[in-house]
Amino acid sequence: MDWNALLAGKVALVTGAASGQGRAAATLFGAHGARVVVADIDDLGSDETVAMVRHAGGDALAVHADVSRPDDVEAMVTAAVNRFGTLDVLYNNAAVQMSGRLVDCTDEEWDLTIATNLSAIFWACRAALPHLLDGGGSIINTASVLGLIGSEGYAAYGAAKAGLVALTRQLAVEYGPGVRANVIAPGSIDTPRFRKVLEGMGDADAFISGLTATIPLRRLGQAGDVAAIALFLASDASAYLSGAVLPADGGLAALR
Amino acid sequence: MSDPGQNGTMSGRFLDGRAVLVTGGASGLGRAVALACADRGGHAVVADIDGEGAERVAAEIRSLQGLATAIAVDVCRADQVEAMAALAADAAPLGGLVLSAAVETRSAALDCTDEDWQRVLDVNLKGPFLCMRAALPRLKQAGGGSIVALGSTLGHIGSPGYAAYCASKGGLVNLCKQAAIEHAADQIRVNVVSPSATDAGLFAQVAEAMPDPEGFKARIAAHVPMHRLGQAGDVCQAIMWLLSPASAYISGAVIPVDGGLAARRM
Repeated sequence: MDWNALLAGKVALVTGAASGQGRAAATLFGAHGARVVVADIDDLGSDETVAMVRHAGGDALAVHADVSRPDDVEAMVTAAVNRFGTLDVLYNNAAVQMSGRLVDCTDEEWDLTIATNLSAIFWACRAALPHLLDGGGSIINTASVLGLIGSEGYAAYGAAKAGLVALTRQLAVEYGPGVRANVIAPGSIDTPRFRKVLEGMGDADAFISGLTATIPLRRLGQAGDVAAIALFLASDASAYLSGAVLPADGGLAALR
Repeated sequence: MSDPGQNGTMSGRFLDGRAVLVTGGASGLGRAVALACADRGGHAVVADIDGEGAERVAAEIRSLQGLATAIAVDVCRADQVEAMAALAADAAPLGGLVLSAAVETRSAALDCTDEDWQRVLDVNLKGPFLCMRAALPRLKQAGGGSIVALGSTLGHIGSPGYAAYCASKGGLVNLCKQAAIEHAADQIRVNVVSPSATDAGLFAQVAEAMPDPEGFKARIAAHVPMHRLGQAGDVCQAIMWLLSPASAYISGAVIPVDGGLAARRM
């Protein structure tokens, strides 16, 4: 195994790759020799990521996809295979996060959260599995610590992410040995989306220091922390891992 | 730990200048990990109750131009464990501890003798406790590091005939979570690798004792979603990843290396 080119010759599709964790993973995958399909709703951000992947040494293609729409998801997989001939890694990273207690959660918020964070992954896997099975593939699904533990204000989000963990185990059992399927469960990761949530708060710095005090490793995660985990799961370095849930949470889940 | 590097892998000599203590290092997974640690620049401290076996592995590492020291140790004996940790920290600032020493006995709860129970709990649970208690201050003094314990699928799910073993591995998981929480602020990460049947070490010994070893292995593999037994290399790679900066934000985790087996149960 070439530890400096763990994805040489592989084709990886990363959703939500226009920023944050998806962008960091796409870039890292590119640096390890992958051809990367950058899927996102944000075309400008996707173009930037494509440039970053190419700069890192990989090839890349941007695809516009709103993963809450089944047609977009199917077209995204088709575009990947049309361009690069195959698909080896499917990294379902795109998600929406809306907070609100259960009784305040509208039908629209519920439906969009479940569609984007759970159904989208079902659609993507259904479309991609025939290709992934052709040569040994890896599915990586981004859940959340909030899919493992309860937290005030995340009824729809928590339900979608917990469902995603279950869906992934199902994939692992049904499609081994041809395909491995694993979950990354991030805690608080310092990404643009995380910062956007903070904008609505009064004192962001106080919030962050209060938050980090609850994390055993005493810091927020970085996009690169999660990308390194995704690389491990995408590559043969994790050849016998399937159905696993890898926390990227600085030890948070160990508390609960 | 040295610079994480920008490429998110455990490539390169990320253990340069650090000692890694490997219990159960004379054979099987422990031997594979000791060799891998030396390959990444670390000083492998090969500890085993089989002192001659530990010395053979250390000599093998040195013949490959790696750094290694062997020590005979019974991990149930606090005085011996303390001496082992001191030896490791003398070799180089301690950067890692891999807890792979374990014993396995087969008996249902009703048939488990006091002696079997005590031996399994002593080696598989008290041993890691003593090793961590001795290593944690030295890891802290060195500026942090990574502890990886060898758990088992049987630490999460029951299996007929493994009462003491299941209890010891289940207890080990929560012991490691506790250590992870208590020492995260010291930049020490603690994680568990949880293999299922691996064609090395204890399982291989059990299989070889069967009338039809290959048939037995094939029946076990048939239950695994990936349709094969684990190999020492599968588990070794996960351990090296947890020792490396590529897993910098993971602590208190249980990483199954089981071909998807636990996805059926947990």
